[in-house]
Amino acid sequence: MKILSIPYKLLTFLLYYLFKVIQSNIYIAYDILTPKMHTNPGYVWVPIRINSKFGLLFLSNLISMTPGTLSIDYSEKKNALLVHYLYDSKEHIVLTDIERIQNKIIALFK
Amino acid sequence: MNILLVSILLFFGSVFILIASIGLVRFKDLYSRMHATTKATSFGILLLLLGISIYFNSWNVAIKVVLIINLIYFTAPLAAHSIAKSYEDKKDKE
Amino acid sequence: MEGLSEILIYSSFLLLIIALVLAFFRLAKGPSVHDRIASLDLIASIVMGFILLYSVLIKNALYIDIVLVMSLISFVGTVAISTYLKQKP
Repeated sequence: MKILSIPYKLLTFLLYYLFKVIQSNIYIAYDILTPKMHTNPGYVWVPIRINSKFGLLFLSNLISMTPGTLSIDYSEKKNALLVHYLYDSKEHIVLTDIERIQNKIIALFK
Repeated sequence: MNILLVSILLFFGSVFILIASIGLVRFKDLYSRMHATTKATSFGILLLLLGISIYFNSWNVAIKVVLIINLIYFTAPLAAHSIAKSYEDKKDKE
Repeated sequence: MEGLSEILIYSSFLLLIIALVLAFFRLAKGPSVHDRIASLDLIASIVMGFILLYSVLIKNALYIDIVLVMSLISFVGTVAISTYLKQKP
């Protein structure tokens, strides 16, 4: 059972990634093609709990591919990631969204 | 029927690359432009490669297509990250 | 290749040409150097799309190798130029 659980986790993670990619592309196509822009850009520092380098690569990749967020900078001193967001005017929406992604990655690498 | 599916995939891939290009012209600051060029371009190339692999229908092509998709999806966020970090450093210096 | 599918493939060539013109507009106008790097990255992707469409048009699978090499070179070029701009005093 333990051997079978790793491909299962990887497959669900891949499906989640694909879903996020399609969702983000629909968002950005809608935003570019409609005449009125509803963007509201800004920055936020997101604290992270992942301690492996490989998990950090996955996290920043996934943040860049999710709708409306782009990872810009990583500070080792603060242990945080600078994220640029495009849509949400409230920061806690972005923070809870990234928290959900972090839980998924921690579950993947356990 | 098969060729119609391939041409629809190719058409939508080109549409997404065009969307990225319109976004590059329309957005106001550099980071918003990078949102468009990172996400929409890699998705457009993904659709084009999917159409190619259905059209040629051989293992030889499918392996290369999987390799290119992996390469693009790992390197496109890294390139955006590199440009953003260099812009940030330049802004701090001034 | 007949009828509707041919029209779709030729019109996707047209869409890519429009995209190339818009990217060149940003390349000529761009306020900072970094805008120009981003638009060069996009132009590399557009050329990759051209090569893929052309390989369908002439039914030759060998052209995919060009796309493989080109995606590598575009990434390395982008990172090299932005690292140079960061190190420049």
